[in-house]
Amino acid sequence: MLIGVLLLVCVVFILAEIVIRQLGASLGGTDEISGYVMAIVTSWGMGFALLELSHVRIDFLRGRVNALGRSLFDLFSMFVLSSTITLIAVRSWPVVERSLVNSSRANTPLETPLALVQLPWFAGWLWFAIVAWFTLYAAIRLVLRGEFEQSEAAIGTFGEENAEIHT
Amino acid sequence: MISSVTIGLLGLLTLSIPVGIVLFLLGFGIDAFFSPFPLIKGLGNLVWSTSNNATLIAIPFFVLLGEILVRSGIATRTYAALDRWVSWLPGGLVHANVATSTMFSAISGSSVATAATVATVAMPQAEKLGYDPKLFSGAIAAGGTLGIMIPPSINLIVYGFLTQSSIPQLFLAGLIPGLLLAFGFMVVTILICMARPELGGVRRVFPIAEMIRALVQLIPIIILFSAIIGTIYKGWATPTEAAAVGVAGAVLIAAAFGGVSIQMISESVVGTIKITSMIMLVVIGASFLNFTLASAGLGAELKAILDGLGLSPLMTILVIVCIYIVLGFFIETLSLMVVTIPIIVPLVAELGYNVIWFGILMIVLIEMALISPPVGLNLYVVQGARKSGKMSEVMLGTIPFVIAMLIMVAALIAFPQIALFLPESLQ
Repeated sequence: MLIGVLLLVCVVFILAEIVIRQLGASLGGTDEISGYVMAIVTSWGMGFALLELSHVRIDFLRGRVNALGRSLFDLFSMFVLSSTITLIAVRSWPVVERSLVNSSRANTPLETPLALVQLPWFAGWLWFAIVAWFTLYAAIRLVLRGEFEQSEAAIGTFGEENAEIHT
Repeated sequence: MISSVTIGLLGLLTLSIPVGIVLFLLGFGIDAFFSPFPLIKGLGNLVWSTSNNATLIAIPFFVLLGEILVRSGIATRTYAALDRWVSWLPGGLVHANVATSTMFSAISGSSVATAATVATVAMPQAEKLGYDPKLFSGAIAAGGTLGIMIPPSINLIVYGFLTQSSIPQLFLAGLIPGLLLAFGFMVVTILICMARPELGGVRRVFPIAEMIRALVQLIPIIILFSAIIGTIYKGWATPTEAAAVGVAGAVLIAAAFGGVSIQMISESVVGTIKITSMIMLVVIGASFLNFTLASAGLGAELKAILDGLGLSPLMTILVIVCIYIVLGFFIETLSLMVVTIPIIVPLVAELGYNVIWFGILMIVLIEMALISPPVGLNLYVVQGARKSGKMSEVMLGTIPFVIAMLIMVAALIAFPQIALFLPESLQ
């Protein structure tokens, strides 16, 4: 929810910038700040989108097998996702670390200390990885107990009738 | 390298691994097998620089704009107003479906949102007035696809970002083809209803005074469209800033109709974050794949392949069109676009074609994918709003409109100026 507020504040900030620019002045740095907001909003939104089953998957083959088969597809793809996201999170840390060690500031008039915005961004990816592993763990337990329906609700795909994917 | 990537891509996608993750895996693969130096060291920086981006924040803004408008009730008013203006044509209300989709496309960056909105408003009318369900729902599914062609368009922002081409130019280039397609859809409807009048329901003529009164309902949408597109071309605002203006406009419109509440705004924001994250995982994956492909020497390999094939540029474009039509049956649309851009666009540019023009051609092909079974999202959205009848009716209903799109594809290839005229003349 906090992330949503960030997005709305950003809208107001940009509007103010447009008006002020027409008057011949500038707040300065709206672009830079929008960029940071975007980075943080997406990294924190990813885990949420995962729980809401929003990340697009092609279920061309998956849709043609029985419940056990489907849950195996789901577990496999969840495992691959968790590993990949963990790798991304691990590889993202050096970016933050360098900013921390060098106390780097952005090469802009705002001179934003980069660690200040990169830490929350990195934490978002880390959170995504943690959420992914926990979901996988929970889903494996469900599948082992034979509760395919529930595991599908946790890591399956959305019925396309309910698709809310805006493209 | 290209053949390994293509096989890997299709194989991993079939395993139903999330599309964004597939793109990362391919990037890792290229790094391991084809790159002379370890690219993975750049992964963190690349993810940071792709998401720390003031251009891409236009995506959540345009999504939010659509989410707010969908909840504001403006679609109902627009539909009723356009009904007064177009229902005298053979095909009656079917034209209102296309016209409302076109209007809504001009403020929404998304095709599925457009189709969903129009379907919810229009479907109850179809049964009341005795329209053929196939034609009626087909027109909504097809009309909805205009959302990604007529600016603003989320897909064009993503295309512009990944190919490093100008988003304002892409928006301008999409305008005429989008309007032509809408016109084409109406012509198709008229032809069908002249041949088979029983499909078209009742034609109704409204008094002039009522028609003019109805125009008032269209004013908010027209103002909002002008505010978004006008501020970009006046040079007052970047596409991102224009999107922010659009969000404010949408809130004002919703407020004017009495639909704004904390709950409505928070629902819209939550929906926006979900969709944005979904899009961004795919976009970040694609830019990582782009980076590894370029570093591993894609350009040289493409040139070698092209020389080896000995096809003329036109033949190559036709082959590409066929590839998109086939893939469009199986792959969801944004994914189809994003996974193919890293390979296809450099190839097209290498052939000497204009990248802006190709973006528009690709959008028409993606629009076809949106309504081609079994994985056509718009079909499901329209069927979902119908609550009765068979899915196959919607699928059959879209066929005439797919023909109109194919004609558009041919026209764009024969006369690139359809897309390039506006951006070139306003440069």
